[in-house]
Amino acid sequence: MAIAIIVAIVTFVVAAVAVAAFFVIRARRRDGGSYAGGHARGRDRVNSIDSTGILSTGRGSARDGEGRHSQTTSAPRSTTGRPSEAVRSRFIAVGVLAAAVFGSLTAKLWSMQVLGSREYESEAMLNKYSTIATPAPRGLVYDSDGVLLVNNKSTLTVLADASVADDHDVVQRLSAVLGIPYNIVRARILDQSSGAQSQRVVASDARQRDVAFIAEHSDAFTGVTVQQRTKREYPLGALAAHILGYTGPVSEEELANVPENRSIELGDTVGKSGIEAFYDNLLAGEHGQRRVIADSHGRVVEVESETPAKRGSDMYLTIKAPVQYVAETRLAELIAPDNVIGQGKGVGGAVVAMDVTDGSIIALASYPTFEPETFTGGIAQDVWDLYSTEESYYPLLNRAVSGTYPAASTYKAFTSLAGLKYGFANTTKTWECAGSWDGFNSGDWQNCWLLEGHGKINLNDGIRVSCDVVFYEIAKDFFYAGVTQGGDISDTAMQEEIAKFGFGKTTGIDLSGEEPGRIPTPEWKAQHWSDVPTEGQWRGGDLTNLVIGQGDVLITPLQNAVAYGAVATGKLMKPHVLKEVRNSTDTTPVTFTPEELGTPEVDEANYKILREALKLVSADSPEVTAEFAEWGIDAATVSSKTGTGEVAGKGDVAWYVCYYPQDKPKYVVSTCIEQGGGGALVAGPVGAAVMGAILANEKGELNEVKRVAGSSGKSVAVNFVNTARSD
Amino acid sequence: MNELTNIRVPDPAPVQGKPRRVFKLSSINWPFLIVTVLLVAYGLLVVYSAVSANEDYSFTRQLAGVAVGAIAMALIWMFDYRRLSEYTTLFIVLNVVLILSPHVPGIGVNTMGATSWVKIGPLPQIQPGEFAKITVILLDASIMARYQGRLDDVREYCKAVCLMLIPFVCIMTQPDLGTGLVYLFIAAIALVVGGARLKHLLITLGICVALVTLVFLLDEAIKGSSGEYKLLKQYQRDRLLVFMNQDSADLTDEGYNLKQAKVAIGSGGLFGQGYMQGSQHSLGILPEAPTDFIFCVMAEELGFFGVMVLLGLYIALFVLGFRIASASSDMFGLLIVMCIVGMWLFQILENIGMTCGLMPITGIPLPFMSYGSSFMVVNFALLGFMGSVWSHGKDNSNRVTYAASN
Repeated sequence: MAIAIIVAIVTFVVAAVAVAAFFVIRARRRDGGSYAGGHARGRDRVNSIDSTGILSTGRGSARDGEGRHSQTTSAPRSTTGRPSEAVRSRFIAVGVLAAAVFGSLTAKLWSMQVLGSREYESEAMLNKYSTIATPAPRGLVYDSDGVLLVNNKSTLTVLADASVADDHDVVQRLSAVLGIPYNIVRARILDQSSGAQSQRVVASDARQRDVAFIAEHSDAFTGVTVQQRTKREYPLGALAAHILGYTGPVSEEELANVPENRSIELGDTVGKSGIEAFYDNLLAGEHGQRRVIADSHGRVVEVESETPAKRGSDMYLTIKAPVQYVAETRLAELIAPDNVIGQGKGVGGAVVAMDVTDGSIIALASYPTFEPETFTGGIAQDVWDLYSTEESYYPLLNRAVSGTYPAASTYKAFTSLAGLKYGFANTTKTWECAGSWDGFNSGDWQNCWLLEGHGKINLNDGIRVSCDVVFYEIAKDFFYAGVTQGGDISDTAMQEEIAKFGFGKTTGIDLSGEEPGRIPTPEWKAQHWSDVPTEGQWRGGDLTNLVIGQGDVLITPLQNAVAYGAVATGKLMKPHVLKEVRNSTDTTPVTFTPEELGTPEVDEANYKILREALKLVSADSPEVTAEFAEWGIDAATVSSKTGTGEVAGKGDVAWYVCYYPQDKPKYVVSTCIEQGGGGALVAGPVGAAVMGAILANEKGELNEVKRVAGSSGKSVAVNFVNTARSD
Repeated sequence: MNELTNIRVPDPAPVQGKPRRVFKLSSINWPFLIVTVLLVAYGLLVVYSAVSANEDYSFTRQLAGVAVGAIAMALIWMFDYRRLSEYTTLFIVLNVVLILSPHVPGIGVNTMGATSWVKIGPLPQIQPGEFAKITVILLDASIMARYQGRLDDVREYCKAVCLMLIPFVCIMTQPDLGTGLVYLFIAAIALVVGGARLKHLLITLGICVALVTLVFLLDEAIKGSSGEYKLLKQYQRDRLLVFMNQDSADLTDEGYNLKQAKVAIGSGGLFGQGYMQGSQHSLGILPEAPTDFIFCVMAEELGFFGVMVLLGLYIALFVLGFRIASASSDMFGLLIVMCIVGMWLFQILENIGMTCGLMPITGIPLPFMSYGSSFMVVNFALLGFMGSVWSHGKDNSNRVTYAASN
């Protein structure tokens, strides 16, 4: 730029000087020739005008002289000379000006068109060509056995150029043909969210008939085109909705944080939740590229080249659709028999079924649920509003991984292991349960769920019948053995044992939104109550609450499944829903490798004591036994633990966790019913049914999968009774 | 002196006593006519390319403008301009009526905040301000012609300046600053060539600079509480800002326009992208391509070479204009020609200058190139006056010479 300016100025000056010099010399020469010999006065006059007019060095005296001269010579000039002689200097001035104008313009244009041309040319190319990314179809999703869960449907999309918005007639016709109100058609055409260069979507799923009409009358629909696009389709409705998640148009926020090896364009569809979000990278294909020449209105004048879009990879999940179907339908039947929450038991629930040998999730259900298809192409405001109300109990929430609940008695498996490790419990030790307990002599009595008391009781029975007093005693021993109380073990010795089973942190499942839950510790409590330090003090009561999975304990149904898997096998497996990925061009699938989260350091002898106790639980409950019998299973062959968690002001949380077979465990099922009531009574049959379904499916007896409906979002007031705990 | 005159203007055919009244072929200034034809043809060529990509413009209308203009030119050429030299008052009245005519209810048309257009019945819409350029030139020339190349008296100078300012004041009521500046430049040329004293001219220039500064200061002082300026419009400020800060020009529409204009010119390179091949204008990226930014279309398609051809034609026209002016036997004719040349010069500088960032953006068309039949007719009329000065002015000088030698 600087060079160009200098060139321009130099040229300007040179041109000006050259022209001035030329005119001056010519004028002198002519005057000299014509006034040869004795016309000194005339010469003087011309010179003086030159000096004043052009070089601007005139002085007052010179001008006076000039004035006199011209007065004396004006008379003859007016009749015989031409007027141009009188204003010759002014001619030269205009000439110099013209030369300067043309000189500077030439210099500037030289610098732009010859010296700087390349830079401008590349800018013109940028203007001329634009690359439009064409969306790629996302990969399909199947269950473990190839049942199609997510399909792509090809839809006819009606698109319009931005300029169509100004064409009243065309908008009117589109409105009439597509049956969309005029204002909405116009608003969609004006919507710039898909980019200025792109055509705007008027209707994303137009009827074949309407499209044919538009195609036949293309003259009446200038600027309107129809494109075949793909749309997510869910053949089984709401089945596995929380695993699959849903897709939607990319948001500005997502556009600002595009992962490294993913390319997202404005207007793309991206995964918003579930595996659609977690494996967005795999499912999303590669954009096709259309290099086009487009005019300033975004109209494509010419397509220069085109590379087709590449479909995303297909995914096979570890889910078994028939089992998932049983899990979901049982939850729905239990909680909302007529699709209205509150008519059954509980307000929400989750089931997680896992293969304990490799962490594969066989079923992962959460209720209430939704149909992902409702969300394709952006969530409709009314659906969003409906699913955001308290009355709907938030169908979008994946309770299996994001719902946190008190573990209740299911925690006793882990706290008893802790007690065994530190010698606060053993097979010979017995406790006396009187129904209520005040081991700290604080005056605050804590009850056993069985108010009349269990009497004299050992650990095995304590676990089987879930006697709270046994565990209060264990907690008390832990409390007094703590360093703060003058003991010689850590204050958090029990919590450390629990943490070995993965509680208090996420499992790392390949789904988004997983919650870590919470194992309360003195440190946590002090921090939690930092505003009210008197409340933040760690008391014996905190530990007696913790030991029975109450108080501030929070776990997810998934964590319980993984932890009981470890109780069964000794190994903590990382849960996962992805089985394998198959590229549409590549034939060799990429299989998910099972991952171990760790092996809890627990004495095999202690495991044995616990496992023996767990074997007896199911058979104790008539409801569970009956359900297992339905599936042809003897309840005594299934190890399990029930739990009934108390939540202040709400109905009890019902838990049932079981694994099978007892000798060489393969499956674990964790069931949780929010505000459901008694664990064995409410959660037990659901869990038993899912376990039964797994086994039936394994034998090839259960293959039925039907479409599952999403929740209506309706509910009636829940009439929960905190019936006496039965765990 | 008589001999001298004969030497300076050689007249091949000895002229007899009878003054020539009939238009003869020999009275045509052939070089002048050829340059004119080339310029107009070149302009039509470029306009054709520019309008081909835009349905809002009609090449036929431009051709009609050329046809009407050519007739006007021929008629004016035959008309003896000297008959107009005494009608200063008439020109003032004509100017005022013409320029203020868009304010007349019923025929005035207000577009984009300026009342510059007139539409009478079924006739095509015209811009009286453009046609007034002719009367402004005639007015300024007739004012200055009276001083016969010497204007030393301050009072006379002031009187002349005031009279010349009338059209400017009128056009500012529309308002149309671009055309107003053209009027001012015509007046300046008339003053300079008409023999005003350098001292007066410099003082006038100084006053002008002071007035412009004052306008800016006053504007700043009286601007509304909302920061809204009263005297200069926002778009005018934008244009100035864009001009002064061209590298960060993307912020406003004006900046975008300027940037795209420069890209069009620069991408033309030495020989251009080829006729009808310019992507900047055919894709609609270049704003106002057929009118104000026609130069960019040419620069983009025909390159530096094409641009030099145009500038060469302009220079040829100006050289011929200078020759006609210097051959003119009376001050009126000389001033008419010089004012015409000056006006074109200013429009060329402003129009080409703004497209390449040398001048701020204003809506001033490029003579013989820009789309617009009003301006085309005006240019032809002005060519007619040049021809008239050439024919009749020279005629007069010959006759006087002849008479004097007797």
